Amino acid sequence: MTTLRLRMTPAPLCLCLALACTALGFAILHQALPGLALAMGDWLPTFATSQTDRMALAVVQYSLLPRITMSILVGAALGLAGVLMQQVLRNPIASPTTLGVASGAQLGLLVATLYAPGLLVFGGEWVALAGGGLSLMLVLSLSWRQRLAPVAVVLSGLVVNLYLGALSTVLILFNQEEFRGLMIWAAGSMAQNSWDDTLHLLPRLLVAIALAALLARPLKLLELNESNARSLGASVRQLRLTGLGLSVFITASAVSLVGIVGFVGLAAPAIVRLMGARTLGQRLIWAPVFGGLLLLTTDLLLLNYSGRLPSLVPTGAMTGLLGAPLLLWMIPRLALEGSPEGASATMLQAARTRAVRRLPQLMVVLTAAAALALFVSQSPQGWTLDGIDHWSAIAQWRLPRILAAAGAGILLALAGTTIQRITGNPMASPEVLGISAGTAIGLIVTIYLVASVSLPLLIVAGSVSAFVTLAILILLNRRSGFQADRLLLTGIAIAALFDPLRSIFLANGDPRIQQMIAWMSGSTYYVDMTMGLSAIVFAVIMMALTPLVARWLDLLPLGRATALGLGVRVNRVRLALLAMVAVLTAFATLIVGPLSFAGLLAPHMARMLGLSRALPHLLGAAMIGAILMVSADWLGRQMLFPQEVPAGLVSALLGGAYFMWGLRRH
Amino acid sequence: MSQTYLRQQTVFAASWPRLLVALPILTLLFWPCAGAAESSDSFAPRIGTVDWTLAETLLSLGVVPVGVAQTRDYQAWVGKPALPDEVVDLGLRAQPNRELIASLELDQFLLSPLYQTLEPTLSRMTRVTTLTTYRPEADLWQNLIDTTHEVARIAHRETRASKVVNEHRERIDQVRQQLPDNLPPMLVIQFIDSRHVRVYGKGSLYEMVMNRLGMDNAWTGSTNLWGYATIGIEELTAPGYLVLVDPIPIGVSDELDQNRLWQMLPAVRQQRLLRLPAVWSFGGLPSAVRFAESLGHALQTTPDTHASLKDS
Repeated sequence: MTTLRLRMTPAPLCLCLALACTALGFAILHQALPGLALAMGDWLPTFATSQTDRMALAVVQYSLLPRITMSILVGAALGLAGVLMQQVLRNPIASPTTLGVASGAQLGLLVATLYAPGLLVFGGEWVALAGGGLSLMLVLSLSWRQRLAPVAVVLSGLVVNLYLGALSTVLILFNQEEFRGLMIWAAGSMAQNSWDDTLHLLPRLLVAIALAALLARPLKLLELNESNARSLGASVRQLRLTGLGLSVFITASAVSLVGIVGFVGLAAPAIVRLMGARTLGQRLIWAPVFGGLLLLTTDLLLLNYSGRLPSLVPTGAMTGLLGAPLLLWMIPRLALEGSPEGASATMLQAARTRAVRRLPQLMVVLTAAAALALFVSQSPQGWTLDGIDHWSAIAQWRLPRILAAAGAGILLALAGTTIQRITGNPMASPEVLGISAGTAIGLIVTIYLVASVSLPLLIVAGSVSAFVTLAILILLNRRSGFQADRLLLTGIAIAALFDPLRSIFLANGDPRIQQMIAWMSGSTYYVDMTMGLSAIVFAVIMMALTPLVARWLDLLPLGRATALGLGVRVNRVRLALLAMVAVLTAFATLIVGPLSFAGLLAPHMARMLGLSRALPHLLGAAMIGAILMVSADWLGRQMLFPQEVPAGLVSALLGGAYFMWGLRRH
Repeated sequence: MSQTYLRQQTVFAASWPRLLVALPILTLLFWPCAGAAESSDSFAPRIGTVDWTLAETLLSLGVVPVGVAQTRDYQAWVGKPALPDEVVDLGLRAQPNRELIASLELDQFLLSPLYQTLEPTLSRMTRVTTLTTYRPEADLWQNLIDTTHEVARIAHRETRASKVVNEHRERIDQVRQQLPDNLPPMLVIQFIDSRHVRVYGKGSLYEMVMNRLGMDNAWTGSTNLWGYATIGIEELTAPGYLVLVDPIPIGVSDELDQNRLWQMLPAVRQQRLLRLPAVWSFGGLPSAVRFAESLGHALQTTPDTHASLKDS
């Protein structure tokens, strides 16, 4: 078996793709130039006779051929960037998008479009590069104190992504019409009208390849563990910085031209590795080749068939859509170096009994936040303190959404705490696990297929898709005994399906965009009293039930062996807890949408306050979740009055800021 | 601003038999809520809406809505008829501020199916009516007329509705009379970025107006529910006129200068390029007339050359 694997190379796969590309390419050429026939040698000079023919030739010359070239170059660039990044971070699921490069570039372009359109005249690529570079610097500065350790960098990247994504969403929500062009960019269209982009990218890619070849030997040292690498004389931090910098430079150069192309940077290195490219040198060669062919195949397929669709399906989003199932297929086959046992050490700081005093303090803060949200508001006349005379407005409009926000915050926080303790992974959360995304996919498809949607329909669609997602999660992870990293990977793959769907929807400029973004970003807008009450009652019941699972959650982070030794039937307990997480998440997602991030942030904040035992951790996180969502809901209503910013977005902004501050201090 | 439509000379014409049939039925349907306001123009109900097409229709009938969503964006994207300053901004179209709406004490709130999710919550403070103008299957011109009559009924301006409709019809007919026969087909596009455009086809306001002006739409490809498709500029190879509806995103006209493919397009080489001022692409009767008039004007003056793309 092992000898067989050693002999495998990605060559046959690449050859297959290359053949497919050639066939597709000729089919398209033939369609574009029916007169071309077989005389390839001398068609250029003699062809351009009639005017229609000349136009057809121009389309081939200035659109089709540059497009094919660009697909190869962009795919190769992303593949190369992915290899470098995965090597530097020693993380098989790292990719350029993980470090916020794409979201930084997007935010840069959005801000420039709104506030400094003059900059775009000089070329959007510089704005995108600046945005991507700045967000990378933010990620690095957040993980600097921890010597740019892989987990710290990826975690910082995740938070920065969430944060910048939330900021972008606010801008898109309020400026839907202005951003039509950027939405196509965000979905990654390969359309070309000249050779300019090719001439722009090609030299950069060549320089990057040369630099990568020079870096290959030192980067190999990173495969050793850190102290060994250092004893060999490599400055680990500097090496990582150089590797990351190069990777970001290539990504930004490619992405700024054609837009965000999902998944290639992640998939190309991972797939060639599975196909037998074991050493760094092999991967540096094969990943760009495979990446280029992968993107080209996708693009040619789209060119051939997308004419029959009324919607524009940009290539970047399409690679994402195709990639997610591939990732799901790959997960059981990936050799993962188990990190959870190490990560769990951070969760098991000595239990601080004094920290329990935090709980009453949190209760006071929650009450204050609720009072503020109920009685203080803005009106066209300015700020007002509303008393009993406003009771009908308060009871009718504010109370339900505050109850719902608090309820959803509690549910997400409980789910997040549970999942972080089960997996021992600080990045785990219901959002990362893909349940929120799965729910959202169901809703997005419903909205897309039905012209006028009603709330009951959305609720049914949301619940059904939440449980389908859970079933997929369970099905794919049953065999590995719900091992933490695989679970997270499955979640990331499911979540990876959501982004391209959203991008396609946005790129087509559907008039229903605003409604959907508002809902997706966690809006309590549509909540009525029944929903608010049921959310808070359900949340309180779940909080009351936490002592039942506290023991399991104290023992599971100790590691599988220890937990088994202490009499926990690990697999069964994990399954039960996961089902609970799914129910909690589905309920919360239906109220506040999939992007609130309370489930990721609240457990972390509780731990930063020193709550480390399971029960206080759960209760503290629940209260922080409620505080976060209630104050986010209130702030969202006041910030841009009369415009209402969805609570989920505000909570991501609030929580994200606090989280980054905490990361820096760490 | 909206008054200009009413001051123009009007002709009493064909649609009033339809009204004769419709009115009793509508009156019967809405009898319970008709109440004190028996269709007298003097009583002006306080109306709010989140839909710009309905806001535009209200203004064309001489009714100033009390509140409209995203008023600043309305000015930018619909433009005319302009919203008076006293109109209250209700917030986002998809999620208008309900406390604000409640405080305005409206008599009526108008929605389009796009915002139907608002119906249950808004109907707790005021009467809510949902009006469908853009329906894929039906005749858009007739829909626009029906919507105008419906809005007029709600705003107690029935008597004006026929006048306003006729006036708009007249203006489009006038444009048609001034145009030569046998105009080549047109592609109506809006630039999204330098590589992509929105092309308007079946079910769009632009195609409906072109057909009424006796022209053919060169785009026969598929469109979405709202009558447009997003395509690359390499697909704009049809002969005939290329009609650009503003706004052109910043930087795009500069890039088009260097864009070899764009320069090769038949419409660009033969200088059959028309640039029109912004018209709300999902608009009502006023937008339809504005599009017809600016298209007619552009066709009668010298066709724009590419250079004039840059002048704004």
